[in-house]
Amino acid sequence: MSKCVWVIDDDEIYQIIIKKLISRSEIFQEQSYYTNANEVFEQLEKADIFLPDAILLDINMPQMDGWQFIEKLKTIHPDLAEKTDIFIVSSSIAYSDKERADKFPEVTAFLSKPVSVEEIKNIGNSLNKKTRSRDQV
Amino acid sequence: MNPTTSRKPLVVGLFAALFFLFLGLFMLWQRYQLLLENREDEMTGIIDLVEQNIDQSLKYSYTAALSLALQINEDGEVENFEEIAAQLVDNNPNIDGIETVPDGIIKQVYPYEQNKAAINYNILQDSTRNVEAFKAIESRKMFFAGPLELKQGGLAIVGRLPVFIENEFWGFSAVIINFENLIGQSGLEELSAKKYKFQFSKVNTVTGKEDYFLRDEIVMEESLTQEIILPDGNWKIHIIALNPYQPLYALIPVAFLILLMSGALGWIICTTMKRPAILAAKVKKQAGELAKSELQFRTIFNQAAIGMVRVDSNTGMIMETNKKFQELLGYSNAELVAKDHISISYDDDKDMNLQLMDKLRNNEIREYSLKKRLVRKDGEIIWIKLNVSALWQPGEPVCSHIALVEDISARVKAQKERKENEKRFRSLVENSSEVILIIDQTGNVKYSSPSLQRITGYKELQVVENEVFSLIHPEDVPHLIEKFKECRENPGLPFTGIKMRLQTKCVKYIWVEATITNLNNEKSIGGYVVNFRNITEKQEAELNLIKSYDFVMEQNKRLLNFAYIVSHNLRSHSSNLESILELYMDEACEQEKANYISLLTNVSKNLNESLHDLNEVVSISDNLDISVESLSVADYLDKTLEILQLQIQKKKAIIHTCIPKDMQITFNSSYLESILLNFLTNALRYSHPDRTPEIRLSGYLNNGYWILEIADNGIGIDLDTYGDKVFGLYKTFTDRKDSRGVGLFITKNQITAMGGDVTINSRPGIGTTFKVLFK
Repeated sequence: MSKCVWVIDDDEIYQIIIKKLISRSEIFQEQSYYTNANEVFEQLEKADIFLPDAILLDINMPQMDGWQFIEKLKTIHPDLAEKTDIFIVSSSIAYSDKERADKFPEVTAFLSKPVSVEEIKNIGNSLNKKTRSRDQV
Repeated sequence: MNPTTSRKPLVVGLFAALFFLFLGLFMLWQRYQLLLENREDEMTGIIDLVEQNIDQSLKYSYTAALSLALQINEDGEVENFEEIAAQLVDNNPNIDGIETVPDGIIKQVYPYEQNKAAINYNILQDSTRNVEAFKAIESRKMFFAGPLELKQGGLAIVGRLPVFIENEFWGFSAVIINFENLIGQSGLEELSAKKYKFQFSKVNTVTGKEDYFLRDEIVMEESLTQEIILPDGNWKIHIIALNPYQPLYALIPVAFLILLMSGALGWIICTTMKRPAILAAKVKKQAGELAKSELQFRTIFNQAAIGMVRVDSNTGMIMETNKKFQELLGYSNAELVAKDHISISYDDDKDMNLQLMDKLRNNEIREYSLKKRLVRKDGEIIWIKLNVSALWQPGEPVCSHIALVEDISARVKAQKERKENEKRFRSLVENSSEVILIIDQTGNVKYSSPSLQRITGYKELQVVENEVFSLIHPEDVPHLIEKFKECRENPGLPFTGIKMRLQTKCVKYIWVEATITNLNNEKSIGGYVVNFRNITEKQEAELNLIKSYDFVMEQNKRLLNFAYIVSHNLRSHSSNLESILELYMDEACEQEKANYISLLTNVSKNLNESLHDLNEVVSISDNLDISVESLSVADYLDKTLEILQLQIQKKKAIIHTCIPKDMQITFNSSYLESILLNFLTNALRYSHPDRTPEIRLSGYLNNGYWILEIADNGIGIDLDTYGDKVFGLYKTFTDRKDSRGVGLFITKNQITAMGGDVTINSRPGIGTTFKVLFK
């Protein structure tokens, strides 16, 4: 079964890097990349697309930051926490950001940049279990 | 009152009364005697008359008896007895019957019918009657016997005339006189009228006792009885006053009068005599009292607790002093006497005393009081209260006066100390920075200390009812009212630390800290005591401290935020570098490796840019004592517009400027340049693609501060979504690659660093207006 991931980050260089890392990890067959969180909702409006297995989400973004994105997505998918795993991927090492992330049940983990291939693999492994449990339901 | 002095007039009065009483009684007695004599005379007259009448009557009887006797012939017979007897009895009204009694035996009687029972009765043999018969025979005289109980009945007097024929006792010629008849003939009834009573008595020849014959048994009292004795028959006739005490009774009222008069006289004499005694007693008493009061005066003078001195008013010489006065001055009496009273006076007080003394001497005043100083023997000065009274009566020649001297040194000293204390206290209150108010229950200010004016500018608070609160800042009134309520419920308990703003006379509010104490129950206060002091400086310092604290906190927050941003930004570059290098290491393809190197170049460029931005930000936050000068906004705006000339032309933007020439602000010149440039750049950059950009710049004064308004008709910002982030670092709200989220952050920091402020008002699709406030 193919796994789907969304990467939402405004840093274009990071986007290039993460593309390489994800392809090296060979976990996600389907990948979508957004430099602006608003694009996600534009896509959602255009077509009835499914939520991915994982979302790698940056916090500090113009127009809409990571937190606002989660809140907005929740209004469309109230059962967001069960449907997908959100991973905060930020260059921030501020404790306050980690704390804030803990308050969101939708956030599975908080990862600090830079991320490695290993970490992406771990994400994929954790998803396997979750996907399995989801399939059973 | 002395009893010996009072007895004498009483005795004299008593004697006089008795004397007059005796005199009166004596006269009365004489009068009584006279009355008795008169009565006796009257009685004697009556008796005489009766005697004559009876005598007459008896004489007629005698004549009748004799006439009968003469009819007796030698044979001792009375011829024609009936005829003669009838003639005698009928012609003589005094006789009731007639009889012949030869040899004592009643033989013939006339009138026969009434007297026939007595015939042949031998009177000489009747022992009850013969004594008188024999007496008649013996004396050869007619003797009236009786009154006696007749044989034939009835009470009668029998007159027996012994008849002798040739010296030989023959018998009796007897006449019978009815007793009633006799009394009638005596005229007693008529004479006695109603004043007297009569009685006949005769000594019984047999018993020797006196027999009474008249109806009423009357107790005989010699003094009131007049008696006559008729010799022919040994009779007694008594006349008795019917009311023996009548003369006495007649005099009783007179006696009373006399008694009364003598009594009255005695009393008059007594009181008359007493008057001098009373007067004498009064005089004596007054003399006693005088002596007593003199003694009292002496005692008071000598023992008085205040100094007393008698002074010759003419010479001013001291005449006498009392012990207290001597003690006060430390002189002995001997030393003081004959000293001029002025000589012990304190120099400064002499004149006043002498003036008053003159007035006293001239009778302008009778007394005076004065507080003055005296000099003791030891030179010490004492304060005294002087009371001077003249001792002569008005109109009398001036003699001496008395002065009462009270030592008031202690009082004066105490008063002085009290005054000084009060002064000290007052100056404490008046010069204190604390204001003291006494507010009564209705809110009237009863007292305010002078510091009120110094602190608030109000000379006095004419506040009624709740008006006192009108001077308090409205925000502080509820708290104050609350405190007053608590205070009212807890009398005597001070409520401290009540902070509030008070409006001064110059409309400015000052901070005061008050203490309120409810002393309504204290009589001398009767209100709320409010003390407050100006704590504006302290309060302002405190507020400044809070402000500083807030500022520091804000700064700290900003610094934290900055640190976060810095770390975040730098880390994002470093992490990218790290990742690229890692990818590079693992990459076999040379073509890919070349791509990574190119990426690295980009990262390094970005890093450099970030560092430049941060440096710019830090330079603002760092530079605390940046130079300021007065700048003309219009000049700077012109300069900025010149710089942007190309961009404006490219955008075909219209710029409206309305900056007053006098808009001078105190600011840092490079900051002002930067601010103007940033706002205008933003306005041009975020212009609406569908319309010609219009930018309006205007300057005006608001509340004494210059405001610069920059309004555009650009795309605007959704403030509902981004409101709190507009001025944040690295906050961008568009997809434009050239917006880095630094400009507004720096602009805001530059404005606030100069003490100003900036606000934003924006509607998406319509435009944005920034207002910059310059301090």
